[in-house]
Amino acid sequence: MVTPGVSGAPQRRLRWMAVGQMVLWGAIGLGAFLLLAKSVQNSPEFGRLQLWILLFDICGVIALSVLLARKLWRLVRDYRAHVPGSRLTARTVAIFGALVIAPLLIVYLSSLEFINQGIDSWFKVEVKRGLSDAVDLSRAALELRTREYTGRTLALAAALTRASPAEVQTRLDAERRESQALEVVLFSAHGRVIAASLENPLENLPSQPPADLVRQVEAHLPYVSLEPEAGGHYLIRTAAALGGPGGHDDRFVVVTYPLPAQLAALSEAVQNSYSQYGDLAALREPLKYSFRLTLTLVLLLSMLAAIYGAIYSAQRLVRPVQDLIEGTRAVGKGDFGTRLPLPSRDEMGFLVHSFNDMTKKLRRARAEATQSQQAVERERERLAIILARLSTGVLAIDRNMMVRTANAAAGAILGTDLSAATGHPLPELAATNERLGQFVAALAVRFAAGREEWREQLDLDGAAGRRTLMCACTPLPGEDADIGFVIVFDDITTLLQAQRDAAWGEVARRLAHEIKNPLTPIQLSAERLRRRLLAGMSERDAEILERGTRTIVQQVETMQQMVNAFSEYARAPEMHITHFSLNQLVSEVADLYRSHAPRTRIRLELDQHIEGIEADRGRVRQILNNLVTNALEALEGVESPLLEITTQLERSPEAAYAAVTVCDNGPGFQRELLGRVFDPYVTSKPKGTGLGLAIVKKIIEEHGGRIDADNRPEGGARVRLVLPVKDSTRSATGAARERRDQLRRERA
Amino acid sequence: MLRADLTTDGSRRSTLLAAACAIGLAVWSLSIADALDGVLEVRSAYVNIEKGVFLLHARVEYPVSPAIRNALRDGVSLTFDLDARVDRERHYWFNANIVDVTLRRELTYHAVSDRYLVRDTRTRDQESFSTLDEALDYLGKVDAWPILVEPQLDGGSYTISVRAGMRRGHLPASLRAILFWTDDWARVSEWYTWSLPV
Repeated sequence: MVTPGVSGAPQRRLRWMAVGQMVLWGAIGLGAFLLLAKSVQNSPEFGRLQLWILLFDICGVIALSVLLARKLWRLVRDYRAHVPGSRLTARTVAIFGALVIAPLLIVYLSSLEFINQGIDSWFKVEVKRGLSDAVDLSRAALELRTREYTGRTLALAAALTRASPAEVQTRLDAERRESQALEVVLFSAHGRVIAASLENPLENLPSQPPADLVRQVEAHLPYVSLEPEAGGHYLIRTAAALGGPGGHDDRFVVVTYPLPAQLAALSEAVQNSYSQYGDLAALREPLKYSFRLTLTLVLLLSMLAAIYGAIYSAQRLVRPVQDLIEGTRAVGKGDFGTRLPLPSRDEMGFLVHSFNDMTKKLRRARAEATQSQQAVERERERLAIILARLSTGVLAIDRNMMVRTANAAAGAILGTDLSAATGHPLPELAATNERLGQFVAALAVRFAAGREEWREQLDLDGAAGRRTLMCACTPLPGEDADIGFVIVFDDITTLLQAQRDAAWGEVARRLAHEIKNPLTPIQLSAERLRRRLLAGMSERDAEILERGTRTIVQQVETMQQMVNAFSEYARAPEMHITHFSLNQLVSEVADLYRSHAPRTRIRLELDQHIEGIEADRGRVRQILNNLVTNALEALEGVESPLLEITTQLERSPEAAYAAVTVCDNGPGFQRELLGRVFDPYVTSKPKGTGLGLAIVKKIIEEHGGRIDADNRPEGGARVRLVLPVKDSTRSATGAARERRDQLRRERA
Repeated sequence: MLRADLTTDGSRRSTLLAAACAIGLAVWSLSIADALDGVLEVRSAYVNIEKGVFLLHARVEYPVSPAIRNALRDGVSLTFDLDARVDRERHYWFNANIVDVTLRRELTYHAVSDRYLVRDTRTRDQESFSTLDEALDYLGKVDAWPILVEPQLDGGSYTISVRAGMRRGHLPASLRAILFWTDDWARVSEWYTWSLPV
């Protein structure tokens, strides 16, 4: 019995039941033994008690059979069901049973033979012959007496034949006295008493002659018989017909003699022995049957008790083993709270105690493991939170590029959702994302080259432009060689752009400062040379001088325009923030260019929710002019030029923004320039300074906004700028404002 | 078809087994009936009333066989019982028993005198006969056996039943119980029943 705790009342009840059964069976056995002991000392007592003993035995056999059948049925059921311990129990019972039944059967068969031979020996032929001889001897002894009495009776009959009627009574009395007979009676032919002489005539009457006597004397033959009487007495009755053989006298005389007491006692003893032997001899087979039945019942009782005891002992022996098996299974299923009852203080008890000790230690170890696991889980959750909050992308993969974990930043940087990517191969996810595909290809190239730890910059080109990642890969620590790698990467595109912007700003400032200043003296010097020398020169030299100085002046003017453009790019002018209607401004710009480029269809889609924005109206107009100019230049040569300007109000939890999108159906931006269209000197046009979009971007950033450029899927370029509606929003969040202030400080 | 054949074989086997059992039982019955083989019945019986006492008169035929003769000659005693019972008839329940008496006598062969003795086990009175037939004839005639007195009757209908039985005498009580089912030396006749003239 496996219990989740310390064994309690059920175990004690079973133990008490076992003790009760043992006491009961012991008392029954002792009672049977006492009955048997009492009965064997007293034969009549045995006759009285044997029936009860047999009944008791039969009841015992039935009770034991029922109990045993129940036990055996359970054993067979458990055996078929492969219940643990049932086979061991069955084997033990078989061995015990064989060990007990074999000697019992031998004893039983020997006892049967002994009983048969013993009972047969009681009725040996010699005994019977001896009794028969005794009877014959008694008969011979009695025959002498009967012959004597027969002779006397015949003599009396002859005398009575001759006697006169008056002498008959006298002779009868004389004969009774002489022979000491009990009675002498003379009967007529019809059995009537003619005369009688009795020993005690006042108390007795003459007895009637038996029928066989009458028949005998009617045939004139003498009659004699020995008649046993109650109380062990014998009478010798003799009779003879008067007139002798062939006579005509029908009368007959009957004389009754008592047998002497000694002879009667001896005869009675012989007769009793003969009768008792006859009765006993008739009981020979029933006696055998009785003994065989008793012996068989005893054998059955012994066998059943032995087998029952064997099953009981085997089950008691196997019970701890079954408990251990069940306990082991429970432990195997994770139930470490299993405690087995201690069967005894023997080796099995030691084993059970060791098992309980083991489960106790296992329970403690599991509790510690659970605590450790919970601590690990907590650490894991913390790490997951940290990873989720990181702006750096973290991606863990195994050697087969199967994603083990990826944080949100990794998905944002790679332009895909990696929240459900765990367990999926990275190449499979990359099939639908161009940027992720380039990223996976770059990783594969490095892994194929056997490089497991590296730190490099990766450029990923896509429809939204080039993104630059700073990527570091390192193998994950662990005993398992196939544990994989962790890749940490940052999108440094914006950082690089800022660095480029700063560099270009510096270049523009230096150009404006270092180149602009010498240009005016150069131009003035060239004009002075022409003015002073032109008059004194020959026509031919004058023409040369004229052409040279004009070239110098023109180039200086060109350089001045360029320097002015750079100066415009580099300077951070004071902005005049006013509240104006963006939609109205857009409409004005569109109307202006409709008149300048009547071929181009300009379509406006204005969001009426934009009531107005706080910005520098002139500079916003400059932005729109620049963008529209660029678009119109790009639409040159296009069959049906179309320019779309869209405004839209966008809201975020922090602030409201006004978005302006300028789209055309021209050739769009060149793919290789997409990421750098706002850099200075990046242009696909044959003329121009290449600073237009750079200045636009600079103004947008001055306002705390942002600008993006890409190509539409249906073709054509699209530039989208976002400006904060409120200046306060721009002041609170604009990094550009800080940069603008920084530039102002530098200039000062 | 195969199933039908199997069923037929099974039933045939069962029939053979039952027949063998019946034959065995019959042989066993015949073997145990050998000892007291012959007619055992109450030929006639009646009662007459003398001075308020019901006297039973019966004629019983007991079996005579060589086995009985030999057993007696070997010293075995036989007990002859004549059971008489008087029941008051009841329509709503079992009959009420008024009288249940037994006349028990014992027949033995007296080897020393070569005579057969009939002894009343209650009164110890005994009679001797030179032949077994005379002894059985004596045992078969029961005259004026008082079984009932008038005060025991309180109206209603009564039946009187008489049954004769014989068995081996001097059987110990324990063996009698053991041999209850197997003793071939015990027989009883059918009840001889008639209405009691009241």
